[in-house]
Amino acid sequence: MKLQLQNLSLQYNNKASLFQNVNLTIESGDFVIIKGPSGSGKSSLLRLINRLQEPTGGTLLIDDKTLTDYDVTQIRRRIGYVQQTPVVFDDTVRNNLLLPFTYKTASEITKPNDTVLQEKLTAYLLKDISLDDRALELSVGQKQRLALIRTLLVNPEILLCDEPTSALDPESRTIVERELEHINQTAQVTIILVTHIDFSTQEITPKTYTLTPNGLT
Amino acid sequence: MNLIEITPIQLVLCLIFIVISSAGSFLLKLGLEKDLIWGTIRTFAQLFMMGYVLTFIFQLNNVILILLLFTFMIFWAAHAIRGRVKEEKVSFFIPTFISMIISYMTVTIIVTAVIVQVKPWYTPQYFIPLGGMIIGNAMNAVTIALDRLFSDLRKQRAEIELAFCLGATYQEATQHILRDVIKAGMIPSINALMTVGLVSLPGMMTGQILAGSDPLTAIKYQIIVMLMIVASTAIGAVIIVHVVRRRCFTRAHQMIV
Repeated sequence: MKLQLQNLSLQYNNKASLFQNVNLTIESGDFVIIKGPSGSGKSSLLRLINRLQEPTGGTLLIDDKTLTDYDVTQIRRRIGYVQQTPVVFDDTVRNNLLLPFTYKTASEITKPNDTVLQEKLTAYLLKDISLDDRALELSVGQKQRLALIRTLLVNPEILLCDEPTSALDPESRTIVERELEHINQTAQVTIILVTHIDFSTQEITPKTYTLTPNGLT
Repeated sequence: MNLIEITPIQLVLCLIFIVISSAGSFLLKLGLEKDLIWGTIRTFAQLFMMGYVLTFIFQLNNVILILLLFTFMIFWAAHAIRGRVKEEKVSFFIPTFISMIISYMTVTIIVTAVIVQVKPWYTPQYFIPLGGMIIGNAMNAVTIALDRLFSDLRKQRAEIELAFCLGATYQEATQHILRDVIKAGMIPSINALMTVGLVSLPGMMTGQILAGSDPLTAIKYQIIVMLMIVASTAIGAVIIVHVVRRRCFTRAHQMIV
């Protein structure tokens, strides 16, 4: 899945533009890191790609077709988005992980069984957590990893991550960094992550940009 | 027993209650005197106007005029709802108004034509008071439901957007909110079913008894009224909440509120 951002701009209520002239081509399988101070519009940029909101100007193309030409719920499933503040519901870990399977868009994807879910938890250093635990009782770092696993369960082709490691301790941070690199390498999932802290990789060299009011540098 | 006619002097005598309440408000510095007086003036004016309109409509017995009056009453109910539900981003007046006309007219026609079997079904002595009770009660249900809908959508923005990120439609993302909202709107009329006759003697029954009806006839009417109120609050709340929820999202399933 190729993604092109062409002259994207975003402005809120007649205020000065948050950013403009954002141009970027992301090929399938790329690993892109977008940096910038808080308030620079990094999260908003991800929201535009996921079509949670519309840009003030410019175009987003997916495989050379305008984003608005796609069915919005299908495209959101294909472009997974892990938000900065992880949202979990007052329910078990299992039901939180299986949430996307309650939606029609995921009806063609096989619903994972408990063994698969438990393996995923273990891979993200959450092996002490049972699928029957209440998700609200997890720490922020654990919720963040749960949110990441949940998004990956519906096989996105592009994964947008908003500050995926900022709430994590050094050990968990390394795990998430390795895991993102791993899914990028093995499953060819394109990763676009925004962060204000360092994100280290082992095998690959990510394409790193900085978001400024006048575009990406 | 014949109904005792109220003379204008007796009506004026009734104002003593407002004088007492206003004096109390003044002494306790509640600042409600103005509202009490304005409310009293409006009660007199609105009810006298309705009295004359009803006398006129009862004499003509014209189906179009009766339905027009009914629509006019719904218009004011929808207007009152708009005033009480503070929402600026989503315009909900017209869909609420239209949904109220459809659902409340249907229930009222069923009650007069099928259940009470008035001939013709639009006989205003039945159609207008029964319809009025539906509108009055359902108005509260719709106000509670819409107020709750907008506040829940705002409070749960993060959860709704998470659902969107995972591929949900706006219907899927807000299913649980809708259920809570409709329940909240219906609870007062269900509570009324539980306590009627024990805690309160409803207005219609009281009116019929005062007018000299046999209490057993009065309670039969009251049972019909109670059940039709539950039905109309349910139908009204379900339709209106669904229609208004649609307006809270764009075609691309993005939140407007």
